[in-house]
Amino acid sequence: MRRLPTGLLFALPALIVLLALIAYPVVYTGILSVTDGSGAFTGTENFRDVLSARMTPRAFTNTLWWVGGSIIFQVILGTAAAILLNQEFPGRGIVRAIAVIPWVVPGIVAATTWAWMFHTEFGIINYMLTGPGLMDEPVGWLTNPDTVMPAMIAINVWKLFPFVAIMVLAGLQSIPKDLYEAARVDGASFWEETRYITLPQVRPVLIAVTLLLVIWALNHVTTIYAITKGGPANLTLITPIQIFRLGFESFQFNQAAALSVIFFVIAMVIVALYIRFLASSGEVAR
Amino acid sequence: MGTVTIDQVRKAYGTLEVLHGVNVNIADGEFVVLVGPSGCGKSTLLRMIAGLEEITSGTISVGGRVVNDLRPKERDIAMVFQSYALYPHMTVAENMGFSLKLARADKAERQRRVAEAARILGLESLLDRRPGQLSGGQRQRVAMGRSIVRDPAVFLFDEPLSNLDAKLRVQMRSEIKALHQRLGTTTVYVTHDQIEAMTMADRIVVMHGGRVEQIGTPLDLYDRPANIFVATFIGSPAMNILEGRISGGRFIAADGSEVDLGGRGATERGHVLLGVRPEHLVPGPGGLPAQIITVEPTGSETHVTARLGGQDVVGAFRERITGRPGDVLSLRPHPAALHLFDADTGERLEA
Ligand SMILES: Nc1ncnc2c1ncn2[C@@H]1O[C@H](COP(=O)(O)OP(=O)(O)OP(=O)(O)O)[C@@H](O)[C@H]1O
Ligand SMILES: [Mg+2]
Repeated sequence: MRRLPTGLLFALPALIVLLALIAYPVVYTGILSVTDGSGAFTGTENFRDVLSARMTPRAFTNTLWWVGGSIIFQVILGTAAAILLNQEFPGRGIVRAIAVIPWVVPGIVAATTWAWMFHTEFGIINYMLTGPGLMDEPVGWLTNPDTVMPAMIAINVWKLFPFVAIMVLAGLQSIPKDLYEAARVDGASFWEETRYITLPQVRPVLIAVTLLLVIWALNHVTTIYAITKGGPANLTLITPIQIFRLGFESFQFNQAAALSVIFFVIAMVIVALYIRFLASSGEVAR
Repeated sequence: MGTVTIDQVRKAYGTLEVLHGVNVNIADGEFVVLVGPSGCGKSTLLRMIAGLEEITSGTISVGGRVVNDLRPKERDIAMVFQSYALYPHMTVAENMGFSLKLARADKAERQRRVAEAARILGLESLLDRRPGQLSGGQRQRVAMGRSIVRDPAVFLFDEPLSNLDAKLRVQMRSEIKALHQRLGTTTVYVTHDQIEAMTMADRIVVMHGGRVEQIGTPLDLYDRPANIFVATFIGSPAMNILEGRISGGRFIAADGSEVDLGGRGATERGHVLLGVRPEHLVPGPGGLPAQIITVEPTGSETHVTARLGGQDVVGAFRERITGRPGDVLSLRPHPAALHLFDADTGERLEA
């Protein structure tokens, strides 16, 4: 008889607990999605119901906007911040510390604070825009159909760009100094250094961070739910919130489970494609 | 024109001065080696020529033009770094062509010059590789290729061979030398290895503690070291130094043994240092008694450490020495090859 490798033996208890913790909800969701409230098997009925709901495709496009908008600005802003924080200037330590604050603030606190800041009548944003006359009248940031989703995205960007900045900064600090010196002797300007040295060197970090950001954005509930609950008129209803409301507001647990399963599959496909194309081409480039 | 003039150059980091007024004149096409112990400021001086380090005071000129306030790319120099500093995400060809790309040279021109450099350095078959896929010696060559492609007035090298194994080091040494002979480009080369300095340089600049100790051809420095530092730094094994005084045209060591100075040392002096290179100790009758401490055969030579005149000295002999520790040899310092130094200032004493 072959003995189990000792390493596996030691890891086994932890693996079993982990498996139970992950597998149980997944399996249970799967079961819920093909049964009704009384536990009777219903086949694909829940899936058909949830897919035919008008809200579902709507939420899906919203999710795409939400994820795409968040990621692009988080990555650009975070990388730019990292490059700036990597320069030598007096008080750099303090600025670096301040820059992480948004990431450290609890999501619900941030959401509430931003809700107030965006408030049409009492919000500081409108106050600052109308005060010096930049705008004639206050904007209903959270009620205007054109601004509510961008406002949500802005909050999400604000919340997470420090994370990107920290990760990229760590990557930047591991770039050997003499690469920049060689580039300077070769005649590179700051922008050329950034383009030809810095960005290629932090590419692996950017790829990993972007993947995390995509996953987090796909699963996001806190900010939007705390501020708009998906409204107005479902304009900020993204799929995770639709699932949440389906389950915990309408108590349609079976339909919520069906939507979860669909969403899970789509998310997996997106992540798999991402890893396949970006991460692996990054490997070749190494 | 690739002349380099370093005039009264000082460098301070905050209040700490690390270069204390350095003067060096380098002629067009010359191969000059900066050599000195670790921390003496060689790299700092080289980096100041390159424009990677501010010049605190003094001036540096390249080709007759003061470059103090010019950016590196405007100085018409190229530099090879100790770590090679190759761009890891670029191929060998891209690495070599990068400066031309930044200078907006057109693509055909770029390819032509990269191909030319690759041919000179034997890198043709490696052009599509990345630095990570190269051996140390190949990386070294790519780093040189990157410099050659730019066709600068001056090449700067900062210890380019220190990451290579001993054999490759010797090989690259002669390759660099051959390259210099072929291109005739002015070269400033930093090393802390005096053998490298001796074998490669047209002229050597010996630095110590942020100062220039002596400038001269390798054999100048070897035959006529200006002071005790240069005397002991250049040459391997290092020159033996005996303490004593001069009296009656003879050197009297601390324990009373006498050395004939061969007509030198007319003036009486109380406190001097006598320098004898290991190969200038001649075994044979009529010498000073030297009790053997260790015998190290290197094959071509035998190095013997012995107690002579109350001090340990090293002798290097072409002939094989059969003595054992404890035996007494008779060693005679070669009178024509003796060096005298003032014990207080360390400066060379002429006859
Ligand atoms: N950025 C810096 N800040 C303060 N001191 C420095 C700095 N860079 C170098 N030094 C000091 O300047 C002196 C000369 O340094 P340098 O690197 O030129 O030495 P080196 O001769 O090249 O030595 P090595 O052979 O070890 O490379 C050293 O004493 C070093 O500590
Ligand atoms: Mg150095």
